[in-house]
Amino acid sequence: MTIPGFIVKNALRNKRRAALCVLSVAASLFLLVSLLVVLNEFTNPPEDVGASLRIAVRNKVSLATPLPVRQRPLIAKIPGVEAITALSFFGGKYKGEENTMFAQFAMDPEQLELVFGEAKLPREQLEAWIANRTSCIIGVDTAKRYNVKIGDKFQLIGQIYPVDLDLTVVGIYKGTTDDRNVFFHQKLLDELTGDLGQVGMWWIKARSPEEVPGVIDRINAAFTNTSAEVLAETERAFQLSFVSMWANIKVLISSICSVVVFALILVSASTMSMAIRERMRELSVLKALGFRRHELFAFILAESFGLAAVGFLLGAGGAWLLYSSVNAPTLTGGMFPTLDVTPRILAFSALVAAVLGVVSSLAPALAVTRMSVVDGLKTLD
Amino acid sequence: MFSLFKYHLRSVLVRWRSTLATILGLALVIAVFILVQSLAAGIEKSSSNTGDPRNLLVTRQGALAETTSVITRDQFNIIRYLPGVARDATNQPIASGDVLIIINLPRNNGTGNANVMVRGIAPTGRALRPQASLVEGRWFAPGKREAVASRRLAGRMANLQVGQTFKTGGVELTVVGIFDGQRSAFDSELWIDADEARSAFDRPDYSSLLLRPESDEALLQLKKHLEGERRLKVKAVREVDYYKEQTRTAGPIKWLGNGLAIVMSIGALFAAMNTLYASVGARTREIGTLRVLGFRRRSILLGFLLEGAMLSGIGGILGCLLALPMHGYSTGTLGWETFTEVVFDFQITPLLAAKGIAFAIIVGLIGSFLPALRAARLPVISSLKAA
Repeated sequence: MTIPGFIVKNALRNKRRAALCVLSVAASLFLLVSLLVVLNEFTNPPEDVGASLRIAVRNKVSLATPLPVRQRPLIAKIPGVEAITALSFFGGKYKGEENTMFAQFAMDPEQLELVFGEAKLPREQLEAWIANRTSCIIGVDTAKRYNVKIGDKFQLIGQIYPVDLDLTVVGIYKGTTDDRNVFFHQKLLDELTGDLGQVGMWWIKARSPEEVPGVIDRINAAFTNTSAEVLAETERAFQLSFVSMWANIKVLISSICSVVVFALILVSASTMSMAIRERMRELSVLKALGFRRHELFAFILAESFGLAAVGFLLGAGGAWLLYSSVNAPTLTGGMFPTLDVTPRILAFSALVAAVLGVVSSLAPALAVTRMSVVDGLKTLD
Repeated sequence: MFSLFKYHLRSVLVRWRSTLATILGLALVIAVFILVQSLAAGIEKSSSNTGDPRNLLVTRQGALAETTSVITRDQFNIIRYLPGVARDATNQPIASGDVLIIINLPRNNGTGNANVMVRGIAPTGRALRPQASLVEGRWFAPGKREAVASRRLAGRMANLQVGQTFKTGGVELTVVGIFDGQRSAFDSELWIDADEARSAFDRPDYSSLLLRPESDEALLQLKKHLEGERRLKVKAVREVDYYKEQTRTAGPIKWLGNGLAIVMSIGALFAAMNTLYASVGARTREIGTLRVLGFRRRSILLGFLLEGAMLSGIGGILGCLLALPMHGYSTGTLGWETFTEVVFDFQITPLLAAKGIAFAIIVGLIGSFLPALRAARLPVISSLKAA
């Protein structure tokens, strides 16, 4: 019998125990990967292709305070600004729904290609949208979810704005990181709310990535000490400001992660060492046959390492398969557009599994190497 | 039966190492379950703890929260002079138009900014909310750009201690006092004078209207009248009911807590089964002896189930104890209705603790069932021969 064969035979001699061991490691690693994925989505939201050129401008008071429309020509004139669009979060409910999990924005349709170029929309649909003031375009995910086709009505009940929208779908786009959003005319919103001369935000595209910092400084400076001071920041910084709002939830998830890791090591290490304690007599026989201490240590290590590795494959691999095949927005109630098991997360859970393998073999291995052959042979199960 | 129980107790103690690992593992699962659920309980408590049942809150129809509601000055004047609204000593209606503004402020621990709810409030509004009591400094004086912060908020945000100033919307506000909202939603707010808020943030209208009807009957009548009046387009609810509804944030947290508990307990379940199988295996001869002494199969089964339940019960209690130090610890996250930071406490309620322990015992019973069955089914003679 070869040495690897011996190790495998040993690991599987109590199949039920090996299976339970692997399953408990797998369940814990599955959980660990899931938590890390959620944490990653919180702290590291996905980035669009055009993000490096985009600048978000909001009212300095907060996102909930609107900006005056008169700022548009002033910003458009700032050197380095290539395109500018209004972007107002409508925050309505889809007709008949209690919680609507896709966002709706009012914007300037002519600017869509210039500012949000990654949203791919057939030319004739874009032209139809620009031409029709009461029309909207919707992301492909929303279209699928509600089974909405071009030409259908799309009704939204206002919650932030005291108006309801009765829109016609004229286009379905895809290609952004969140293909759920709905866009309609800012002009329509102005009309319905009685031309307040306000927009939610400005979104700007800079001419080149090098010019972004300068443009941000110039926009911020342009409105200092006016009645509507602004905060311009990169799209990334804007996204991360949302992350900051989640506050202690992040800390909570990371501390749960560490508790899970600790509980996992504790429980699995105890079961694995139990498996080896039962085998003291055999190990003494091996010792008597002339196997060296480090060889015995290697046997034990290889066995617990192997069990942990199978657990890792099942748990982390299962999580990876699951999250890459499910529809993330549906599963999370729309909280996360994607659930990405990144190589980093896989590497980290592999590391945890490896540590687990080492730790659980440590105590019994030490006991074996220290024990005298005679004592070991005397051990009863 | 008692002697059998004693036997199990002793066996558990003899195998203290694996027993301890099982108990501790389960205790950690339960601690996580309780902690996450106590967050949801904290949000619910702060919501259900807010307001006065005698008050009626009027908001715009369709508005999700006070922050997105608008009550025009005309509406304000119509509503507050309606019959049924209580009057004060000077025969003025007891009604307060509040202005709610979301402002973005830096945290005091340097981890970025958060949205904070500013409530522009009139003296009547303060009287209508006796829950918020001043604990430091004084109340703001109108027209002097002064603000009063809740104690919990002041503990989380930069520049909100008495004497400090912060800038927002082109005005500089000085904090002159700290109030305690007594674990209500007001603990997440910053209060300033209503008229000052309207001028500083350029708001022609109010956000919401809080009023005190003369009696409970008057409240119901006013509510009916306001909601039946189509021109006003307002919604009127008891203040307490409004806040009770503001618990959407707790939903995903509960979901997270349950999900975590289930997956973690599956892991713990397999490990516990392993331990118990091993202990049944090691005790084969003892079990045979018990059978010879006249114990029935079902007693053996029951004994092992009891052993599992006992271990997991201890794990559950330990889990509660592990979680307990976090009780009352103040924390915060983004509130889904208001889009502002809600500050609340971990609330480990007795119900939650009981749920945790019950959950642990269920896990223990499930985990010990198969090993117990195996123990009960051991053939007497061959088990006596076992090494």
